[in-house]
Amino acid sequence: MIPKFDYLRPKTTEELVGLMAEYGEDAKLLAGGTDLLVLMRDKLIRPRYVIDLKGIGELRGLSWDEKRGLRIGATATLNELLESEVVKERFSVLWSAVGVLADPTLRNRATLVGNICNASPAADTAPALLVLDAEVEVAGKDGERIIPIRDFFTGVKRTSLKPGEFVRAVRIPNPPEGAKGGYYKWGRTRGEDLAVVGVAALVANSGRRIMRVALSSVFKTPLRVFEVEKIFEGEGPLGEQIERAVSVVREKIAPITDVRGGKEYRLHMAGALTRRALEELLGGS
Amino acid sequence: MSRHKISLRVNGQSYELEVEANRTLLQVLREELEMTGTKHACERGDCGLCTVLIDGVPTKSCLALAVEVDGREVTTVEGISKGEELNAVQRAFIEHGAVQCGFCTPAFIIAATAFLKRNPHPTEEEIKEAIGGILCRCTGYRQIIDAILDASRKV
Repeated sequence: MIPKFDYLRPKTTEELVGLMAEYGEDAKLLAGGTDLLVLMRDKLIRPRYVIDLKGIGELRGLSWDEKRGLRIGATATLNELLESEVVKERFSVLWSAVGVLADPTLRNRATLVGNICNASPAADTAPALLVLDAEVEVAGKDGERIIPIRDFFTGVKRTSLKPGEFVRAVRIPNPPEGAKGGYYKWGRTRGEDLAVVGVAALVANSGRRIMRVALSSVFKTPLRVFEVEKIFEGEGPLGEQIERAVSVVREKIAPITDVRGGKEYRLHMAGALTRRALEELLGGS
Repeated sequence: MSRHKISLRVNGQSYELEVEANRTLLQVLREELEMTGTKHACERGDCGLCTVLIDGVPTKSCLALAVEVDGREVTTVEGISKGEELNAVQRAFIEHGAVQCGFCTPAFIIAATAFLKRNPHPTEEEIKEAIGGILCRCTGYRQIIDAILDASRKV
């Protein structure tokens, strides 16, 4: 049984901003509900007001253009992303992360913006957004601002959103020319579960050499390990560069022991998955 | 708590209801419309036994508020056959012994029926992926997968 609350369904973002200003901390935003309603049922949060975003037309859907890249509205579902040819072809790292998040039925409701606002260290879409240099489009009573995704996560279940602010969309610039990417998720089962470790990698080996790595479930926030990026710009055999990247990743993460795996196991698997990701993605180029 | 007037179409029939904000679609289906084919189990989106179709799309009804579904078309296992005439998936489940305790069966029937509409000739891998959101607590997956494969050949 979900505890009592008042349900509100604004039709415009202006109306939403007004409701958020009026109800402040007593209100929670509802998109897919796959995190929010579970937290409410478990009585971990008790909002007096639930504001459904799905009545607001401008928060829906995806759009893409050659110049500005991809824009994902706050209520766009994960299956909308998965079914998009543009996402599959041009943003393969994100597409592969979405495809292993929860299960196909849940993805009909769950949203990408909800996944990042929930701000779990295990958020599957976060490492992909980190290596893609995504930007979070935020609006509120004091106007609009853009938060680079690398500054968005501030702690376990914490973001840099201020009271009264909401995420209107996530924007992703087109990846560099020739980029390839993938999300490597290690779970206890092949089906629905949170990651023991997740590694997103984006590489390009034509023209400008690029190697970006970000991880889930091994730090208090999803983490991009910027320190690996210089390694690949230098000279030297590829195999050695990959091993140096693996060591740097293992140094920068700080995994914990929990029900899904031990600290040492996570440390080991983070290295192994980083190696696998880089070898597979760089192997063909 | 706020109360809301909603209209739902369930299995082709229209209902005008008044629901409290915290009522899930699952509760309304089972307790108010007395359609108990849709099962109540984990109530947290993990097991998928409450799966119904909303406008043809498989959805876990324990994680959908009834008020959110205002104006939509819902299909439950009660509406999946033509009266006494079972659909291809239901027939295949019987033929392959894909029903053990039966508790997950409505969800698998609903999900598989919707899946085969979208992908009439799936591979076994695609079937496994499609039913990934539903838990068979008896672990009788082999028969369930066989039944869906067989149904896809007969549709």
